Amino acid sequence: MAMPESVPAPLIIDTFKDLFRAERGGGHRRHDPLGWIISVPDTHQKSVLAALDKERDLRVLTCSTEDEANGVAAGLWMTGEPVIVMIQHAGLYASVNTLRGIAMDGKVPVFYMIGLLSREADKDPRESKHSMVRYAEPLLDLFGVPHARLEGPDDVKRIPEYYRLSRERRGPAAVLVGLPTN
Amino acid sequence: MKPEDVLRIIADARGTAICIPTMTTSPAWRTLAPNDLSIACVGFMGGASTLGLGLALGCPSRRVIVFDGDGSLCMQLGSLPTIAGVAPRNLSHLLFKNNVYHTSGAQTTPGGEGVDWVMIAKGAGYRDAFAVSTLDQLRQRLPTILEGEGPIFVELHTGLSEKTPMTDRGGVPFPQQVETLRQRLSA
Repeated sequence: MAMPESVPAPLIIDTFKDLFRAERGGGHRRHDPLGWIISVPDTHQKSVLAALDKERDLRVLTCSTEDEANGVAAGLWMTGEPVIVMIQHAGLYASVNTLRGIAMDGKVPVFYMIGLLSREADKDPRESKHSMVRYAEPLLDLFGVPHARLEGPDDVKRIPEYYRLSRERRGPAAVLVGLPTN
Repeated sequence: MKPEDVLRIIADARGTAICIPTMTTSPAWRTLAPNDLSIACVGFMGGASTLGLGLALGCPSRRVIVFDGDGSLCMQLGSLPTIAGVAPRNLSHLLFKNNVYHTSGAQTTPGGEGVDWVMIAKGAGYRDAFAVSTLDQLRQRLPTILEGEGPIFVELHTGLSEKTPMTDRGGVPFPQQVETLRQRLSA
């Protein structure tokens, strides 16, 4: 197994912005946000969240729970707004009913960036000694949620790929953030 | 107040507002307002308030009215500070307080009648919050509910609805409501 690498926050944020610009096409009004990041704070992605605080083109909304993040993302999508949900694996477990009800049964595209806190760099996540890490991919598999790993800078292309997949399939899709972003 | 009477007054006055009923307001609302500017939340445990928040943020020029339940809001109580924190001016959050989980058999909600939702909403940071106990009070407050600067929270003291999602199943499936509303909003 190749050793994973941290992904720089600016690379992730530029990827979000490019993705949102492409989705909006020419229809973006200058003073509006390019798109929305709905988050429940995640230790693994804290450098991205910190950088987003200074970002004027993206609007960040912090929710109390991941259930809420799903609801807000669904409402925004219905109005045509580009939106990404950033959570941690524990939040995924906490919100599976809402993921099922909104993204799966409701056929609302929701794209998640999920931090794998405590993931060991020298182990496949499925072999982690931490259940929060070990069960994330099997849970997504059980629910039929397409997912990919963000294991280094070369994998940022997975973000637009799985974001668009969620839109094409009208359902959930996820990218799992392997190591803390830097 | 009968919840159906409350909904009837809102339906007559709502104009182009998006309405989000949940649980026991859903069967009556789909009869009173069978159009495509509503979306009923059943099955994701208190999600109406945040679905309404997303719609309100994405449609800032249109009023969004959430018909929440006290049992439902207990399940996502954190949505109050989430909504207050971003403070959408076009969101009205109506709480139908009947003190029970009517749909599942009328078990008493945590705290039941003693919960002061107005105080909770004010404490969370809503711009305005008040209680309404009669239909006359509701009519007086209607301009604020429909046009006042949000987020506005209204604790409606109601009895039980005639129907629940368990006694009156049906209506347009949720994915179809989603698609119809999205198309309508992007038109």
